[in-house]
Amino acid sequence: MLSSAQAPRLVRSPGLRLRPIKCLHTAQSSPLTTTTTAPSSQILTIRKSLLTQQTTAVDLAKSFLDRLRRTEPQLNSFLYVSPDDAVLKQAEELDNKIKNNEKLGPLAGVLVGIKDNICTSDMPSTAGSRILENYCPPFDATAVRKLKESGAIVVGKTNLDEFGMGSTTEGSAYQVTTNPWDLSRVPGGSSGGSAAAVSARQCVVSLGSDTGGSVRQPAAFCGVVGLKPTYGRVSRYGLVAYASSLDVIGCFGSSVADAGILLHTISGYDKFDSTSSKREVPDFTSQFVGKDYLESKPLKGLRVGVIRETFGDGVDPEVISSVRGAVTHLEELGCFVTEVSLPSFSLGLPAYYVLASSESSSNLSRYDGIRYGNQVLGDELNSLYGYSRAQGFGSEVKMRILMGTYALSAGYYDAYYKRAQQVRTIIQDSFKSALEKNDILISPASPSVAYKIGEKKDDPLAMYAGDKMTVNVNLAGLPALVLPCGFVEGGSAGLPVGFQMIGSAFDEEKLLKVGHIFEQTLQVSSAVPPLIAGELTC
Amino acid sequence: MASRAALLVLRATPPLFSFKKDIFPNKTLIFKQNNRNYAAKSCLEPPDVQRLAETARISLTPHEVEEFAPKIRQVIDWFGQLQAVDLQNVEPAIRADNEGETLREDLPEIFENSNV
Repeated sequence: MLSSAQAPRLVRSPGLRLRPIKCLHTAQSSPLTTTTTAPSSQILTIRKSLLTQQTTAVDLAKSFLDRLRRTEPQLNSFLYVSPDDAVLKQAEELDNKIKNNEKLGPLAGVLVGIKDNICTSDMPSTAGSRILENYCPPFDATAVRKLKESGAIVVGKTNLDEFGMGSTTEGSAYQVTTNPWDLSRVPGGSSGGSAAAVSARQCVVSLGSDTGGSVRQPAAFCGVVGLKPTYGRVSRYGLVAYASSLDVIGCFGSSVADAGILLHTISGYDKFDSTSSKREVPDFTSQFVGKDYLESKPLKGLRVGVIRETFGDGVDPEVISSVRGAVTHLEELGCFVTEVSLPSFSLGLPAYYVLASSESSSNLSRYDGIRYGNQVLGDELNSLYGYSRAQGFGSEVKMRILMGTYALSAGYYDAYYKRAQQVRTIIQDSFKSALEKNDILISPASPSVAYKIGEKKDDPLAMYAGDKMTVNVNLAGLPALVLPCGFVEGGSAGLPVGFQMIGSAFDEEKLLKVGHIFEQTLQVSSAVPPLIAGELTC
Repeated sequence: MASRAALLVLRATPPLFSFKKDIFPNKTLIFKQNNRNYAAKSCLEPPDVQRLAETARISLTPHEVEEFAPKIRQVIDWFGQLQAVDLQNVEPAIRADNEGETLREDLPEIFENSNV
């Protein structure tokens, strides 16, 4: 626990106050569209304009589709886009419902992107891999089914690192997605396509999956909100399994409210997922208070713990100062901030990679060229398996399968897999005790901002090191919210920095409430990437 | 590969087994697999990428084996830091156990299409 002598580290120091976005740009950078209003919920705005008939669902869908098609050649965030007439037909049906005063679902008219490792029965689901090229699942994932029941329109499947293995989306077997803030940089991964699509307003919200940070890190890189729910909050039925004890489906939105509304729609017990929780799903956004109604210290009494080990070596100084600025802002809102130490923190990364590689080697054994997916013939069964898998899988996937096979082999299991599980217990316990003394814990979402495409491709350990902020949360199964908190120099308009808030198990409500107040009182999150600057955003 | 050949020679071979792959291809394969299990028990040998690929049923090209071996070795060495941690009396966690028991009631469930 922090002694009072160390507290001054967190007192605001000169130069750390977040400046309005305009001050960060030099004369030659292109102008950035900024607004002085806080980000509003696009979902609620759309709902209001549909119900008051200010706009029709068809017009709305057309404007998103236009923007999608215009920005897609530069972004490559989608692996599959629904044909226009299919989307417009759903929008028309919705308009008819509105005319007939029928009840609308909570996501009526909202265009959603779905990460391609989540099964959709009417669209291919490749998980970013050639082994599942053109594979159309016979069912919808539970999360997708719930979205459709709520009136959402699925606009397409977004790009990802193959099977969720990677942190840049360069590992996709099909295409590389670019970061809307700087097209020469990665959007993060593995849900890079989903993050980029929301960042560039190609869709309103999107679904991703988070096994070791795959929703939170791209959210930070692309300057959007990323929400990882508690393990068991959202059914994994229909999510292509990578590491079954770590995978969750997560949400992207341009505001905290949107991420919260989306999470509420997809959460809940599912008999098809034995790890899904039977707990009641509260209305996550019912606690939200509009900006004009906030008291002067709306978060008074909230205990915030800043994780000491996430501010040390290997973290960009600019990221540190941006996140410390966010912490200062939380203090201004009334939070009681202290520093927390989690001594086992650094063990999380090797433990995670042992567990994830091992579980993935088992989960990916089903891609044998027989059950489904592409097949390459061989002289006998083993070579059919061998050739199908060799040609279907990319090199990162092959390496992780091999490492997992090694860690699970007879004689090595105790040394690697069992040890990693024991480290996992230690990490779970350390988070539990830190969260008894604090309501939420804070860290940067990533040690750096988005790096250049190709920069980390050949060095696996360097790429893995970028996950150190996020993996522990998956090992502990806790919820986490990533919000933009500032920018650093780079690209034509700056590169976003995200900070991460970690909560207790099933306490997404508190995270979202704090995140909402934070974002409403800090204008930086309303900026949009230069790629779409100057346009009307719905 | 040389060590495997040496082990093949050292084992007493029953007359049924032949090393001529084309006559008894499947039996030779089984024989090789048995051989592999005996060899794998020793303490923490570095990963043999070719052998792992056969276990995982992925046919790697020799170029791929060469490319992956140093990277895999590097990552496995990095995993080695888990050996240094004191983990006495720590229970392994299968997953983030936020819920406890998730078994349903032990009651029969009638399905509509049970005669299909």
